[in-house]
Amino acid sequence: MDNNKTTTKIQELTYELKIDDVMCKNIETVSSKMPISQLRDVLYKKRISGVPVVNDDKLVGIVSIEDFIKCMEQEEMDALVEDKMTKNIKTLYADEPLVHAVKKFEKYGFGRFPVLSRKDKKLVGIITKSDIIKGILKKLESVYHDEEERRYRASHIFNDIVADEVFLKFQYFVEGKNFDKAGEASTGLKKTLYRLGLSPDIIRRAAISTYEAEINIVAYTDGGEIIAYIDPHQIKIIIIDKGPGIPDVEKALQPGFSTAPGWVRELGFGAGMGLPNIKKFTDKMTLRSTVEKGTHLEIIIKLSDYRNED
Amino acid sequence: MKLMEIEEILEAEVLTGEYDPEIEIEIGCSSDLMSEVLAYGEPCSILLTGLTNIQVINTANVADIKLVCFVMGKIPDEKIINLAKKNDITVFITKLTTFESCGRLYKNGLKSCSYFDLDK
Amino acid sequence: MNLKDIVKMLDLKVVSGDIDREVSAGYSSDLLSDVIANAQKDNIWITLQIHVNIVAVANLQELAGIILVNGRQPEQITLKKAEQENIPILLTELPTFEIVGKLYEMGIHGNSIN
Ligand SMILES: Nc1ncnc2c1ncn2[C@@H]1O[C@H](COP(=O)(O)OP(=O)(O)O)[C@@H](O)[C@H]1O
Ligand SMILES: [Mg+2]
Repeated sequence: MDNNKTTTKIQELTYELKIDDVMCKNIETVSSKMPISQLRDVLYKKRISGVPVVNDDKLVGIVSIEDFIKCMEQEEMDALVEDKMTKNIKTLYADEPLVHAVKKFEKYGFGRFPVLSRKDKKLVGIITKSDIIKGILKKLESVYHDEEERRYRASHIFNDIVADEVFLKFQYFVEGKNFDKAGEASTGLKKTLYRLGLSPDIIRRAAISTYEAEINIVAYTDGGEIIAYIDPHQIKIIIIDKGPGIPDVEKALQPGFSTAPGWVRELGFGAGMGLPNIKKFTDKMTLRSTVEKGTHLEIIIKLSDYRNED
Repeated sequence: MKLMEIEEILEAEVLTGEYDPEIEIEIGCSSDLMSEVLAYGEPCSILLTGLTNIQVINTANVADIKLVCFVMGKIPDEKIINLAKKNDITVFITKLTTFESCGRLYKNGLKSCSYFDLDK
Repeated sequence: MNLKDIVKMLDLKVVSGDIDREVSAGYSSDLLSDVIANAQKDNIWITLQIHVNIVAVANLQELAGIILVNGRQPEQITLKKAEQENIPILLTELPTFEIVGKLYEMGIHGNSIN
């Protein structure tokens, strides 16, 4: 019942939202006269798997990592982008409802569509499946403030909209020394994981680990960020800050070790159990730190059962 | 144990308005150190604590604790109550000490959390 | 109730101090400032703090003893100080909620607050 309601709400949103609301506007493009050999830098540096080809603001094609690999295999690295790109491309207009994008993804199975403005046919953005999901999640957040009671799950997004694998990325910024705001990132992430329909045990483990790491950023650093990557197999959470770093990582990982100042202890932390807790609740934990530079903590929680169908 | 029973046993005052009378509180936990609360392998359903800051609610939230009871008549400020409401966490206050509160609940049959099932 | 009987009935491990003394009531807290403000003479104190300061607090308040929960071991220096000051430190694997519950069932109650 609940799930039906959810699906309906999501379908509604795919009509209500415009492509312009969810697409990525900050786009990388290449010119058609660029040699394929230079494509590598663009794709790898930006971690994208395809890029629109634009001449004088006009979209003329799209070139992907597959095209690049093919050229590599056939030793055609000197070829120009225009010789290897896909020319006859499907596009969307920015003012179309999201549902058109959903249908096109289904029909063609492409990973992305360039988005044009209807007026002058200029390239204004690019849309991927994960943009759609993120857009809908964000909208759901503002539509329902206390939707937790409704217990609807957005897990159906994965079933209904997307066929291929999807990677979701969520990013949170954490202020240093601000205990009033500490916990906002982890509780925000928890809410998102809940909406994605992950199982309560997985959500709890991810939330507790992230929370301990967030508290450490607040307690010991001037700030940092938390980035969560979710795919059908695992949740990977990266927690980074810019210092002061940990002089002896081995020691910091020992239960009971703490350099927490008094104000941290008065708030109920600083018993040296944070990092051990994170270790307990995750499948993999990697802590790297350089004094004066900063700390990089990566944790992984495996998803044996991705979706929680009830 | 239902919330109403706990409210009576602890002579508590409810700060978060109406609660769901059907919620079942099964496991008790008491600590003033949030990392310890987080370390318990399974979610506890009530946390009794002498600490009254916003991190108690965040801890309850991430650890799936449904009921927080502040002891010794300590009154949390409004921000704390609002955050609890937003996250469906019920907040009680009691004049009793942690010791008296835990004792009464245990005697009335509330089970304890256990620390060591973590490693299983 | 005598601390000796409590130790026996709850199977506590005694690591310091003379346990032949009376217990008035129980106090449970992990905040030292709270214990200083609210614990009373001859209370048995339940905590997970293992820092040496717990001995000073127990001494100051003339507590009957300290029970460390969740299998926590006192720091070396805590132990040394407790021996010096004759403060009983007792260990249990149980968490606070449960050990307090068991003490309560034995008839040890909390201090009343006015
Ligand atoms: N991001 C960080 N930057 C600098 N130091 C850190 C960071 N995270 C942890 N530490 C160090 O590692 C110690 C142990 O951390 P943790 O296990 O979370 O326990 P606690 O926070 O209770 O001290 C901290 O006391 C601190 O010295
Ligand atoms: Mg910590």
